[in-house]
Amino acid sequence: MTDTNINTPIIPTWCPGCFNFQILAAVKNVINEELKKGKTKNDFALVSGIGCHGKIFDYVNLNGINTLHGRVLPTCMGIRVGNPNLTVLGFSGDGDCYAEGMEHLIHTARYNPDVKYFVHNNQVFALTAGQPTPVTEIGYKDKTTPLGVKLYPMNPIKLMLAAGCGFVARVYAEKGQVESVFKEALKHKGFAFIEVIQPSVIFHTDEEYKTKFYSLEKEGHDKTNFEKAWKKAEEFDYNIVNKIPLGIFYQKEKPMFEDLWPQLVELKKKKMSWKDIRR
Amino acid sequence: MRFSILFGGKAGQGVNVLSNILGNALTKKGYYVFISRDYQSLIRGGHNFNVLTFSEEKIASNDSQVDMIIALDENTINLHKKELKKGGKIIEKSGEGNMYFAGRIFKALCIEFKVLEEELKELKFFEENLKEAKEGYEETNEVMCKVALKKNKLNFANGNMGISEGAIKSGIDIYYAYPMTPATNVMGELAEKQIEKNHIVIELESEVAVINAGIGSAITGAKTMIGTSGGGFDLMTESLSLTGVADVPLVIYLASRPGPSTGVATYTAQGDLDLARHSGHGEFNRLVIAPGDPKECEELTSQAFYFSQKFGIPVIILSDKHLAEGLYTEDKNAIITPSKKSTSLKRYNSYEVDEFGCATEDAKQIIKNVDARLKKGKEIEKEAERFEQYKIYGNKNSKNVVLFWGSTKGAILDAMENIDAKFVQVLYLEPFPMKIKKELEGKNIILVENTATGQLGKLLAEKTGIFIEDKNKILRYDGRPFLADEIKEEIRRRMK
Repeated sequence: MTDTNINTPIIPTWCPGCFNFQILAAVKNVINEELKKGKTKNDFALVSGIGCHGKIFDYVNLNGINTLHGRVLPTCMGIRVGNPNLTVLGFSGDGDCYAEGMEHLIHTARYNPDVKYFVHNNQVFALTAGQPTPVTEIGYKDKTTPLGVKLYPMNPIKLMLAAGCGFVARVYAEKGQVESVFKEALKHKGFAFIEVIQPSVIFHTDEEYKTKFYSLEKEGHDKTNFEKAWKKAEEFDYNIVNKIPLGIFYQKEKPMFEDLWPQLVELKKKKMSWKDIRR
Repeated sequence: MRFSILFGGKAGQGVNVLSNILGNALTKKGYYVFISRDYQSLIRGGHNFNVLTFSEEKIASNDSQVDMIIALDENTINLHKKELKKGGKIIEKSGEGNMYFAGRIFKALCIEFKVLEEELKELKFFEENLKEAKEGYEETNEVMCKVALKKNKLNFANGNMGISEGAIKSGIDIYYAYPMTPATNVMGELAEKQIEKNHIVIELESEVAVINAGIGSAITGAKTMIGTSGGGFDLMTESLSLTGVADVPLVIYLASRPGPSTGVATYTAQGDLDLARHSGHGEFNRLVIAPGDPKECEELTSQAFYFSQKFGIPVIILSDKHLAEGLYTEDKNAIITPSKKSTSLKRYNSYEVDEFGCATEDAKQIIKNVDARLKKGKEIEKEAERFEQYKIYGNKNSKNVVLFWGSTKGAILDAMENIDAKFVQVLYLEPFPMKIKKELEGKNIILVENTATGQLGKLLAEKTGIFIEDKNKILRYDGRPFLADEIKEEIRRRMK
């Protein structure tokens, strides 16, 4: 019988009530559905970075790597090039992705490999106990910033739109939302950027956020319209919480990296990886 | 007989093409050829020069004096006339292109015009070049040297071509790089052959991306290699440490140039031996190997794939600009060490892991993992002993020993004649071959290295307790390679 158990014996060490549990449950649900539909565990590769989010690697029994801080995307890219038949899932935090790994985010959006990428954004370096990241709001204080954060946060949604990303989404760390955007991302051919607003229950609780969320889909947002996506992206600047649109901002399929290289097209056609090539 | 020609001119005048045409033709005639390239970090203008030496016997270096100077510009004469031997000849004519000079040289060396014509067929603008070359060929009847057909069957390649060839013969699947002199040409060589040989070459946004994509590909089981120079390698070292903890088989080509920092970007040095051995935080296994000519580049690249696949470790192939871009002739085929693909996608981790591949902080588990790495280190050492970790040349019983590694090999072996010494070339620098001790103990050891501090000397002292006296260290650190006649004199002065 094929092994379809994606649980590990590890007890999660996230804080009680951490929103990462919601993300974990959603991710496992969708993967389990895919396994029921006929995929095998070996069809997946999971990559996470360093930070609270990175522990997800220990809680999902799939192949892959819990890699270095900031290096999730080039690693995902390397796995796709190594075996373009794998479904590659990347997980980062906002520190991991928007600080240390920023160069890779922009370029991966440009390369457009078929990688589904989740950024657990709690607007704080949580695992190192509360320092500000590039998306922390002005005025935030911790031990390292007694004068308060002075710098204006960056807007990753706008950044991804500008970088040419073909799937730009933001959801709240609530199981149903993560599941539904994950399913959409799996249907999308190419790089999918999914920011998950995932409050830190200790350092950045974001209680007021909940009252400001609204659904792009329910509002009838046209996700094929770049200009409208840009306007929606500007509604939340990660600094002042006025209204926060959730859902898919923009979706447009464009040539995937793996389809631009004849060698990789051949591997996909034959359902092979480089490992299977004997010389 | 050694005959040397210096080709000088501005970048863009075609000095390189010119010397390579002659090198190719002489190789086909069965002559041993060596060409070194001296060029600045610019694309047009400045001053570039190549020195080509050829001989009926095996050579792999230049001397300080040349028989001919081909001056594509006035500056070449000003800068190099002091290097011309007595009775030497300068060929110059302002306003002429490089193919005119090709005609002049081929005539001066008594090589038939049809040989030159064949070489021109390999280039663009055949008709124009042919006309120009003919003009040069018919200009004078002066003869400098008579080139005849020799029986040698020779291959003409630089170190980077050797690395690429070795990678292809080892069954490389994937090569990632970010452009950096002098490693870049490996990317070019492999890229040109990627469809024919069915591998893939990808340039990424930085060396950090390069090594991490390399790790991603390597863990899927693909035979993966990356390439860079010192500065780019510095950027990679955090991830090098990851390959060490996660048992990732990765081949890394490190082609040095003078540092620190941007240093002298298009010149040569061996200053990254310490870096290759010590880079990356924490304690982990690696192999550092250093070829001394293009044939060894091929052989050691195949050994790099062998060790990386067999043990799941990073292997660093250490070269430098002189070897990477110098052109050598070789009369023997490389001996390739075959390697099997040994990795498949499983659970890898940058943390210490438990039996499920999950992060652990358990003290007993940590000790278990570290001990496993130490044990593997011993196995690597043992396996390395099956290979030629160092080579010996010259008089095996001499009380004088000349110790060296890497690209200095060419000049040193060319200087060897009439020197009563044992010459020891170290190819495996990590793990260090301990049995080398018996070759060195009680001897007058002379170290030759393209560095300011003699890094192999420090390594030898660390591993064996054998110290080389400072006065016995022949060190060159002006970005230039050693020359055979100079090194001969330097060695002689230190002999006992």
